[in-house]
Amino acid sequence: MAYGEMMAILRLGGRVMRSIRRGNMDRAAVFEQMWIMGNKSVFYMTVTMGVIGIILIYQGGLQAQRIVPDTSMIGATYTKFLVRDLAPSIGALPLAMRIGAGIAAELGSMVVTEQVDAMRMCAADPIDYLVVPRFIASTIMTTVVLVWSAFVMTVSGMLTAYFIFDVNFHTFLNPTLMTHGDWVVGLVKAVVYGATIALISSHRGLSTFGGSAGVGWATTSAVVYSCFSIIVLNLFISLIGQLIFPA
Amino acid sequence: MASWTAIPGRLGGTIVEIAEVAGGITVLVGRLLARLFPPRLDRVELLKALHHTGVQSVAIVSLTALFVGAIMVVQAAPLVLRFDAKALIGWGSGFSTLREVGPLLIALMFNGRVGANNAAELGTMVVTDQVDGLRALAIDPLSYLILPRVIAMVVMLMVLTVIGDAVAVLGSVIAAQVLLDTPPVTFFSTFTSLLEPWDFFSGIIKSGVFDVMIALTSCYFGLSVKGGAPGVGRAVNAAVVAAATGIFILDFFATFAIG
Repeated sequence: MAYGEMMAILRLGGRVMRSIRRGNMDRAAVFEQMWIMGNKSVFYMTVTMGVIGIILIYQGGLQAQRIVPDTSMIGATYTKFLVRDLAPSIGALPLAMRIGAGIAAELGSMVVTEQVDAMRMCAADPIDYLVVPRFIASTIMTTVVLVWSAFVMTVSGMLTAYFIFDVNFHTFLNPTLMTHGDWVVGLVKAVVYGATIALISSHRGLSTFGGSAGVGWATTSAVVYSCFSIIVLNLFISLIGQLIFPA
Repeated sequence: MASWTAIPGRLGGTIVEIAEVAGGITVLVGRLLARLFPPRLDRVELLKALHHTGVQSVAIVSLTALFVGAIMVVQAAPLVLRFDAKALIGWGSGFSTLREVGPLLIALMFNGRVGANNAAELGTMVVTDQVDGLRALAIDPLSYLILPRVIAMVVMLMVLTVIGDAVAVLGSVIAAQVLLDTPPVTFFSTFTSLLEPWDFFSGIIKSGVFDVMIALTSCYFGLSVKGGAPGVGRAVNAAVVAAATGIFILDFFATFAIG
């Protein structure tokens, strides 16, 4: 991502923050966006994250058995990594595809069909009316949906461990390795990802030009930039997290 | 909030929608296979598509892979320090990168970059009647537009996964040196002794499965666009989401089938 692009996204973030502080917020629009982004993603995320939970335990368990013959710690290790990294960071990618592509496609179509210019003509700020509800909804619902995916991954991993490695549920749900730092880092990641997805995708959507080809291109770049930012932010938040909460 | 009585109807609607997509993709596969044996495709378009999907994605895939490799080490660091098993980091990060995380994340990035772009391009062509224009000139859109793209995507994602795996391992080596003070020699000692060639090849086979999925969904959704610019946006959105779901579900079956 080019430097100018990043600055433009940060500027958009600043304007959104100022708009929220002024209290210019359309509550109905926020709830509508929360419904679209959150409730309608639950089924999709339950399927994808449930599958990932099964795969991770299966692959991890098979390999752990090669090195350490004991599978009793598999649950403790898995849930620690799940809360700290796996659920927010792996879950944010499919979620970014859904939410990010949705925002960029919707805003892009509005720009191309000159609906955004019409709003400006009516002295309605597109940032207040379009970006702020999406930003708030994405930040809240990404966090909620990622917490739900963590739960789904725990359950699917627990069932896999029970049926394949004979680890009973009580042994699996072993919180001894988990610390407060894991929860803080995991939640911070989820909130930051939610805000990032909304800002990047809104920016890409609003800077669409050139008809239907432009809408497609805006949607593509929203997904790519969101996913890439999530991976980069993951590295930085993980590093900072380990400085603040050493293991 | 819809009433409870509406739920069976909505469920049925969803099932019909999924069946429509699955049927459409199956028909598309059949028509593509009919043009593949014997091969009837445009060679110039194939080369263009290979360049477009492959060469231009190297940068984003490599950057992603570099960070993914580093993250693997960052996440494993507390555990490694706890059990004082620094040498095992090479095996641990290498195993998870080559077998699971590398192919999966590279496929997701590829889906966002190439799959979405492909759906958008085809969708725009449909909306602006360019596909009908091709038919009017007696050029078969499937062998001219679709088949080269599908072949290019299938070939290029596997190549990109090989490159991505290599870069991800490089990222892990750098992170292990910086974060854990583990020199590359120690890193590679467990990397080479505990990993088998099969760990690498099973990842590549998986990515082969993923890219067939990405190519077919993006072409299908691109070709079935209706309704101008908003339609293109919706189609890209649907293509990306469908391919991502497909990747995760296929990953599940591939993991158990390959072992």
